[in-house]
Amino acid sequence: MSIFFVQLLTGIAYGMLYFMIAAGLTIILGVMNVVNLAHGTLFMLGAYIAFSFISNELNFWLALLLSVFCTAICGVILEKLLIKYVYGKELEQVLLTFGLSFILADTVEWLWGTEMKTLPVPGLLDGSISFGDTAFPIYRLFVVLFGCLLALLLWYLEARTRIGAIIRAGVDDREMVGALGIPVGFVFTGVFAFGAGLAGLSGVLGGPLIGMYTGMDSEILVTSLIVVVIGGLGSWKGSLIGAVLIGIIETLGKVWFPSLSMLIVFLLMMVVLIIRPNGLLGREVA
Amino acid sequence: MKKLRRFKASGLIIIALLLFITGCSQTRSSSGNGKKGGESDTIKIGFILSQTGTFAPLSDGILNGFKLYLEEHDGKLGGKKVQIKVEDDEANPQVALRKYRQLVHSEKVDILVGPISSSVVYALRDEVEKDKIVLIDANAAGDDLAWSKKSDYVYRTSFSNWQNGSSAAKYLANNIGKKAVVMAPDYPAGKEVIRAFKEAFKAAGGEVVNELYPKLDTNDFAPYLQETAALEPDLIYAFFTGSDGIRFVTQYKEFGLQGKIPLGGALEFGDELITQPTGEAAEGIIAGINYSPNLDNEINKKFVKAYQQKYNKLPNIFSVEGYDSATILDKAITEAGSTESAKLIKILKGISFDSPRGPITIDPETNNPIQNFYIAVNRYQNNAIVPEVIETVEKVTMPKTSPFE
Repeated sequence: MSIFFVQLLTGIAYGMLYFMIAAGLTIILGVMNVVNLAHGTLFMLGAYIAFSFISNELNFWLALLLSVFCTAICGVILEKLLIKYVYGKELEQVLLTFGLSFILADTVEWLWGTEMKTLPVPGLLDGSISFGDTAFPIYRLFVVLFGCLLALLLWYLEARTRIGAIIRAGVDDREMVGALGIPVGFVFTGVFAFGAGLAGLSGVLGGPLIGMYTGMDSEILVTSLIVVVIGGLGSWKGSLIGAVLIGIIETLGKVWFPSLSMLIVFLLMMVVLIIRPNGLLGREVA
Repeated sequence: MKKLRRFKASGLIIIALLLFITGCSQTRSSSGNGKKGGESDTIKIGFILSQTGTFAPLSDGILNGFKLYLEEHDGKLGGKKVQIKVEDDEANPQVALRKYRQLVHSEKVDILVGPISSSVVYALRDEVEKDKIVLIDANAAGDDLAWSKKSDYVYRTSFSNWQNGSSAAKYLANNIGKKAVVMAPDYPAGKEVIRAFKEAFKAAGGEVVNELYPKLDTNDFAPYLQETAALEPDLIYAFFTGSDGIRFVTQYKEFGLQGKIPLGGALEFGDELITQPTGEAAEGIIAGINYSPNLDNEINKKFVKAYQQKYNKLPNIFSVEGYDSATILDKAITEAGSTESAKLIKILKGISFDSPRGPITIDPETNNPIQNFYIAVNRYQNNAIVPEVIETVEKVTMPKTSPFE
C-alpha cells in the first residue's frame, strides 16, 4: 500500500508543477486570446538562467527570484516586439510562437551547451521523510506546498484586487474596458510578463525534479497544452484540477500500465472533452 | 494601415536575420571539391550523428574529440587534408538513410563516421556493404553489429553493450555480494547490457533474483526501488543513460537507498555526462568504466590537458570515441597509403593503437575494439565526482558469435 501512497504524492507533486506552467499558459490564453507555443521554451529558459546564477555561487532562492524576473522581462520584450502584432490572428500566433520556441531553444543550446544538467535541491529541503519503510524526498512535498500557495495567490489576485477585476472584465469585454479609460495594452503586456514569469518559475522549481536537457521544452509544452484543454481555456482553477489529475494519472500509469501511460493521459482528455466540451471549468469561447 | 506596414517591416527584418544566422552556421560544415578515390590530397569524411534531443551531447563529444585530433595533426589524417561534413540523423533510421545518400552519393565522402543510435547503424550497415564505403562506428553499441550484422566495412571504436554489461560482474560477485537485482530501461540496449551482466555474474557464482525494466523516460523510479529494497539483495546493478540516468541516480539517494544497498553500474554511471550533474548522489557507485579523465597514462594526460584547453571542460567517453576514430583512421590511411576501402579494410581488421583509454585492438572476428575496463568507485572530492580505479580488467572482448541463439 505504501507504494501507492508514495506514487500518489509524487503524482501530486508533478501535477503541481504542471499547474504552475499551465496557469501561465491559460491566463495568457484567457485574457489575451493568445496561444503561446513558446511557453515551454520560457520554462526551459527559467531553469537554465537559474542554473547560471547557481553556478556562480548564488543561493537557490535568490536565483529563483532573479530567474522569474528575467523570464518576465523576456515576456515583456516578446510582447512588445512581436506578440502584439498578432492579436486576433490565431494562425499567425501559432506560427510566430512556434517559430520563437525553436529560436529560443537553439539559443539556450548555443549559450549553455547540450550536456544534461540538474539544479541542486536547496539545502533546506535536501532530505527525506520516512513513511514507514520508505523515504520520501522533502523537496517534492515543498513543490506541492508551493503549488497550493500559488493557487491561493491567484485566487486572491483575481477575486480581491483591482487588477484582478480589470482582467476579469477584459476577458469578458475588452472594448468596454478600453472605453472605460483603462490602458488595455499596458494590462496585456503585464499579463504576458506574468505568464512568462510563471513559466520561468516552474522551470526553476522543476529543475531539481525533472532535470534540464535539450527537448525538455517540447515535452512540457505538450503536457501543459493538455492540462489547459482539460481545465478549460482561460480558467486557472480548471488548470489546477486538470494538472493534478494528469500528474497522478501519468505517474500511476507509468507504474502499473507503463506501455499505456501516454495513452491514458490522452484518453482522459478525450473523456473530459466529450463530457464537457469546454473543459472542466471553461466557458463558451466567444 | 500603419500597423500592417510595421508588421511587414519587422517580418522582413526577422527573415533577413534568420537567413544571416543560417548562413553563418553553414561555415561549420565545409563543402569542397575533394575528389573521391585513393590517391588525392584531400579526404572528405562524413559524419552521421544525432544532434537533436538527448543524443546531442554525445554527438558534440564525438565531434570535439575528432576535431581535437585533427588540430593536433595539422588538419590531416594519413598525410591528407581532411574536410568534414556533419549530418543530423535525428536518431531516426529513415532520416539517417536520406543523409547517408546525401553524403555518399551527392557529397561523395570517402569515409563515414557515426552513428549514435544502434537502430541507425543497423539501417546503415546494408547500405555501406552495397556501396563499399568504410564506416567507423563511433558510438552505437548494439551487440548484433559484431554478430549477425557484422560487416567488413564497419569497424567499431566505442564498445558493445556486451562489454559494458559484463565488465564489472566478476568484481561485484567476488567483492560485494552474490545476490543481485538488475534494472535497465525497456529497450534493446537495456536488455543487451543486462543479459551480458547476467551471464558474467552467474559465471562468477552470482544469482540475479529479479529483473526490472522501467519504460524509457520514467519520471519516478520509487516503485522499482521499493520493490528492490524489499528483496534485500546484496547489490543492485543498473544501466540507465541520459536524463533517465540522472533521475535514477538522484532518486537512489532521495529514496534513501544510497549507503544502504550498494549500487553497481554500467560505464555511464562513472562517466562525466552523468556524474557531473548528479554530484554527491553518484558517490559510492561502483561502475565498470572504460574511460575516466583521471586514468593514469601519458596519452590520457596529454589528451585531457589539450581538451580542457580547447573546450574548457573535461572530456568524457564520447570525446574519446571521437578522438579514437580519428586515431584509427590516421593509422589505417597511413599504412594503407590510400583511402580506397579495399585497402583500408585489410589494415583495419586487427589494427592496434593506443588510446587515452589504454591500448586498443580491433578484434578481426567481431570488428569490435578489445579494450581495458576499469572497476571504479565514485568518490566525491572538491565538489566533483572522481571515479577511483580499484581494479583493471584487461583486454575485455566479446564472444565471436552470439551465445543467445
